[in-house]
Amino acid sequence: MSQAHMPLSPQAARRLTLDTEPYLSCDDCFDLVDRYVEALLSDREHDMPAMRTHLAGCAACAEEARSLVGLVAEQDGLDPAVALRRLEEDAT
Amino acid sequence: MSLVSADDLVPPQVGLSHPEPEDWVEALSIPGPRQDHAMSSLHEMMLRACRRQVRRMRSSLAGVGNERLEEIANQAADEAMMAVLTKLPTFEGRSRFTTWAYKFAILQSATEVRRYAWRNREVELNDDTHVREHAPSPAGYAEATDLASAVRCAIDEALTPHQRRITIALLIDDVPIDVLAERLGTNRNALYKTVHDARTRLRAHLIASGHLATPHLEAGTS
Repeated sequence: MSQAHMPLSPQAARRLTLDTEPYLSCDDCFDLVDRYVEALLSDREHDMPAMRTHLAGCAACAEEARSLVGLVAEQDGLDPAVALRRLEEDAT
Repeated sequence: MSLVSADDLVPPQVGLSHPEPEDWVEALSIPGPRQDHAMSSLHEMMLRACRRQVRRMRSSLAGVGNERLEEIANQAADEAMMAVLTKLPTFEGRSRFTTWAYKFAILQSATEVRRYAWRNREVELNDDTHVREHAPSPAGYAEATDLASAVRCAIDEALTPHQRRITIALLIDDVPIDVLAERLGTNRNALYKTVHDARTRLRAHLIASGHLATPHLEAGTS
């Protein structure tokens, strides 16, 4: 028994059973994330379902997308809250 | 300069000692004084973005001093700048140049922080999947706990040993994907694809056992 592993929490169960279709690789996510973040911050409608799915399923890419939202908002003097909320909604 | 200085809160372009070029690609591509200024401006941007990212993630670097944090930010900024310059011919103008460039700084510095945070930690890769169940939950969580039990069985029954090792490390033990990629000599793409395939198998298994609704049923009941 692998006692070192963390208990399987309900949250982990949800992460494990997340539907990550349509598939998008981390590299493809990186290619798109600048456009995606600008669309979030400008409140434009965006049609990137694979991007939304990827960010829900990849913690590292999601953290970096959140950070880019904050950085660009800071640069432009915008409140990142709405865009971050949209990002969280996309990622759930 | 301290990583946690108020200067990090200044919008990046305000703190630049050189004016921002109107056409970054041209300014960075043609040798001369404009290129020198553009290079300096780009490096300032990268460094500020990297410092900001390191500061964001510093809770994962408990006990690491400001001097080391600054070294991490500087190293990441240098590498991000190289990445931007290497990828410059691929910039298509679909976003602003600054947004495009920042993502390299964030990726580089986040990766550096994750790897540094795990530098002295072993990553146990084990396909023995007798993952312990979470402690008994209140009644309201009964359904979720039941799913957790079913998932635990599905990991054993539906995944290959490789999928089990990678999936347990990333989604249960919370090993950062960059750290696992480095230890295994692979990359994020390969690991994410393994997890994607594992999730697909787990879902199919759990749908077949009645623990998950089929996608169209979920859509119809939401």
